[in-house]
Amino acid sequence: MTNSVPALEMRGISKSFAGNTVLSEVDLTAASGSVLALVGENGAGKSTLMKILAGVHQPDEGEIAIDGRVMEFRGPRDALACGVAMIYQELSLAPHLTVAENIFLGREPLRSKAGGIVDHRKMEAEARRILEEYGFRLNPRTRVGRLSAADRQLVEITRAIVEARRVIVMDEPTSSLTSQEVEELFRLIRDLKSRGLAIIYISHRLEELPSIADRLLILRDGRSVYDGRWGELSTDEMIRHMAGRELKEIFPPRTAEIGGVRLRVKGLSRRPLFDDIGFEARAGEVVGIAGLAGAGRTEVVEAIYGAHPPDEGEVWVDDRQISPSRPSVSVRRGLSLLTEDRKRTGLCLNLAISRNLTLANIKSLVRGLRVDRRRERDAARNYIEKLHIQPPQPGKAVGRLSGGNQQKVLLGRWLYADTKVFLLDEPTRGVDVAARSEIYKAINELAESGAAVVMVSSDLPELLGMADRIIVMRRGRMVVELTASKTSQEEIVRYAAFEQ
Amino acid sequence: MSDWIKRFLPFISLIVLCALIAVLEPRFLSAGNLASVARQTAVITIMAMGMTMVMVAGGIDLSVGSIMALAGVVGALAMVAGVPVVGGIAIAMLAGASLGMINGAAVASLGIPAFIVTLGAMGIYRGSVLLLTGGNAVVGLPQSFGYLAEGHFLGLLPIPLLIVIIVAVLIHFLLAQTQLGRYCYAIGSNVEAARYAGVRVARNQIVYYSILGGLTGLAGAIESARLVTGQPTAGEGYELRVIAAVVIGGGSLSGGQGSVMGTIIGALIMGVLANGANLLGISSFTQQIVIGAVIVMAVTFDEFQRRRLESSEA
Repeated sequence: MTNSVPALEMRGISKSFAGNTVLSEVDLTAASGSVLALVGENGAGKSTLMKILAGVHQPDEGEIAIDGRVMEFRGPRDALACGVAMIYQELSLAPHLTVAENIFLGREPLRSKAGGIVDHRKMEAEARRILEEYGFRLNPRTRVGRLSAADRQLVEITRAIVEARRVIVMDEPTSSLTSQEVEELFRLIRDLKSRGLAIIYISHRLEELPSIADRLLILRDGRSVYDGRWGELSTDEMIRHMAGRELKEIFPPRTAEIGGVRLRVKGLSRRPLFDDIGFEARAGEVVGIAGLAGAGRTEVVEAIYGAHPPDEGEVWVDDRQISPSRPSVSVRRGLSLLTEDRKRTGLCLNLAISRNLTLANIKSLVRGLRVDRRRERDAARNYIEKLHIQPPQPGKAVGRLSGGNQQKVLLGRWLYADTKVFLLDEPTRGVDVAARSEIYKAINELAESGAAVVMVSSDLPELLGMADRIIVMRRGRMVVELTASKTSQEEIVRYAAFEQ
Repeated sequence: MSDWIKRFLPFISLIVLCALIAVLEPRFLSAGNLASVARQTAVITIMAMGMTMVMVAGGIDLSVGSIMALAGVVGALAMVAGVPVVGGIAIAMLAGASLGMINGAAVASLGIPAFIVTLGAMGIYRGSVLLLTGGNAVVGLPQSFGYLAEGHFLGLLPIPLLIVIIVAVLIHFLLAQTQLGRYCYAIGSNVEAARYAGVRVARNQIVYYSILGGLTGLAGAIESARLVTGQPTAGEGYELRVIAAVVIGGGSLSGGQGSVMGTIIGALIMGVLANGANLLGISSFTQQIVIGAVIVMAVTFDEFQRRRLESSEA
C-alpha cells in the first residue's frame, strides 16, 4: 500500500485571475495512507489550489500526477474519474432528493444497462450498507432537505467516500459538526487512511489537527512557505509562517480627531452565528474586525444594519437606540453597510452608474414629484471624479465595469448618502491595487469628516494600516480588542485561529 | 450598437409589419380601420402600461383579466343602482386598485412567487364575480355610459385613445421621472441590492400592483361601456395579451427593463397582427399561432441580449 510513488503530486502550480496572481509555483504531495493538513489565512490560495485539483479551474502552469501518471483535468468529471473526490465547504446536495439518491447522484445503479431505469432497491441497500459501515445514523430514504446541517455534512462526506479511490479532500469538514460528530469523523479519517487513501484536510481549527495530521503544508499569498512532517513546527512557528503577508500598499496617514461615541453595540446575539458582541466606535475612528472565514464577522455587521436582524442586543447611534429590523430604517438613522457581496446584495448590474450611486439617497434629488436629473448627473459626475471611476460615463451600466470600479460605485453610494456610521465589509475584496488606494483615501476622508467607520477585513496589513483598534472574532465571539499600533499580524492570527 | 437595436427593434418591427400589411391589403391604411385598431387595442394597452410597472419591478400579475371583470361589474352595479356615470367609473377604478393592492400585499408578505400568488388570485376574483352576478350580465346601464367606449373627443379623437394617451404620459412620467420609478427599476434589477440600499421594497411593490389594479378597473369600465353591459366573463385570456405586449415591447420577465413606449408598440404589434390577419382572411386560429411565435421570439431576443451583457462583465 505504501509505495514510493505518492498518490498525488501537484507540481509547480500557478494560477492568476484577471492579472491577479493567486497561486505561484505551489508543490503539494499527498501519500497513500496519510493525512496532509493544508493551512493558511483567508485568501492564501487554499481553495483555488483545491479547485484546480478538482478540475474546476485549470492551472496556468504546473502539472498534476496521480500515482505517478501526469493527468490533465479539464473538468470535475476528469478528476472524479481519477478517484479524486472533494467535500466542499458550501454544501452541494440536492435537498429534494433522498440521502441514498444524493450519495449515488450521477452514478445510480441501473436495473439494466439499456433501460436507464434506476434500481432503487439496490441503491438504498448499498447506501444503508455504507452508512452503517461508517457508523452514520442516517436513513437512506430521508430527504436531504429535512436533515440538520451536521447530517447533511455527513451525507456529503459519504458521497465523497464512495467516489474517492485515491485522494479525498476535506475543506473545513467540521465547521457544522458537534464535538462528538467530529470524533466520529476522525475515526472515519483513520479508517480511510488504513485503506490507503490520501487525505487532504483543510481547517481553520488548528487545535484539531494534531490528532490526525501526518504532514503539514502552509500557504501564504499563493506560495508554499512550509512543507514538512507534522510536529516539526511549534505553534508559534506555524503562526509566523501563516501571517507575515507582504505589505503591498502604503496606507495614507490620517489626522482625524477622535470625538464622541457614534455607534454603540451591546450584547448583540444571533445564535449560533455570533453571541454577545459589544463594542463602540467613535467619530473619526476606524474600528477593524478581524477573524477567519466563518467567525461571524459579516453576520455581525449585517445584524447591526438590520439586514438580518439579531435575536437580542442593542444598537445605539449617536446616543439614540435603534432596533435593527430593516435596512430602510437603519439608513434613515444614519447607518450604512458596504456589503461584501456586491453582485448579490450591492449593485443593480443592469442599471447605470448614476442610478446605482444615488439609490440610497434619491430623496435629496427630488424636487416636487420629479427626480432632478441634472442634479443626479452632477452628483454622479462628482463621485466618478472623486473616486476615479472608469469609464467616467454616468450612463454606463455598472455590470460592464471592472470589479474595482464596481466597488467604487458602491462606496460612492454610501458617501453620497452621507451617513454617520459606515459599516464596511471587506471593502477591498477583489479590487486591484490602484482602486484600493482610492478606497483607503476615501475611508480616511470619512473618518476625518467625523464619521465612525467599522471595517471587516481578511487582509491583515490592511486592518493594521487603516484601523485604530482591531476586534478579533473567533467562532462567533469577540476574543480580544487590540490597539492597531501595538499589535502584529502574528498576534491577530494567534487570537483568530487558536483556542486560548 | 446593440443597445440601439434593442431600443428600436420593436418600433422597426411595427413599421415593417404595417408596411407589409398595407402592401397586401391597402384598406389597412384607411382612417376607419386605423381608428378601429386603436379602439381594439386601447383596453389591452391601458392594462399593459400598468403591467409594465409591475414587471419592471420584477413582478407579474396574472389576475388582471379577472380584476377587469370584477371591477367592471362592480362599477356597472353601482351605475345600475343610480350612481352617476363618472362615479361608476371611479368605483370601478377603486375596486381594481383595491384588488391590485391585495395582490401586491400578498406578493410582498407571503414570500411566494408573484406568478403563483396571482394565479390563485385569478381564480378567486373570477369566481367572485361569477358568484356576485350569478353568471349573468349586469344590464340596464345608462345610455351616456357608452360614450366612454364609442365617443369622440372634439368629434375626432376616440375617447379610449384619449385615455391611452393620458395614461401613457402619466405612467411614463412615474417611471422615468419620479422616485417611485427609480425604485421600480432598482427592485426589478436586484431586489436584495435595493433592500440593502434602504429601499422599502414591500411598500413600493404594493403601490405598483395597486396602480396596475386601478388601470385595470378603468379598462374594465371601458369594456363594460363597449358591451353596454357588465360581463362577468369579460377579460378572459387578457392577462396573456397584456403580458405579451410588455414583453414584445422590450420588457423583461426577470425585471429591471421595460418602458411605456415599448409596451405601446408591443400592444400595437399584436393589434395590427390581428387586424391585418382579419383583413387578409387569415383565421383567428392561425393568428393565435403567429402571436405565440412572436412572443417566443421576443423573449428569446431579450434573453440573448442579457447573456451578452453578462458575458461582457467578466
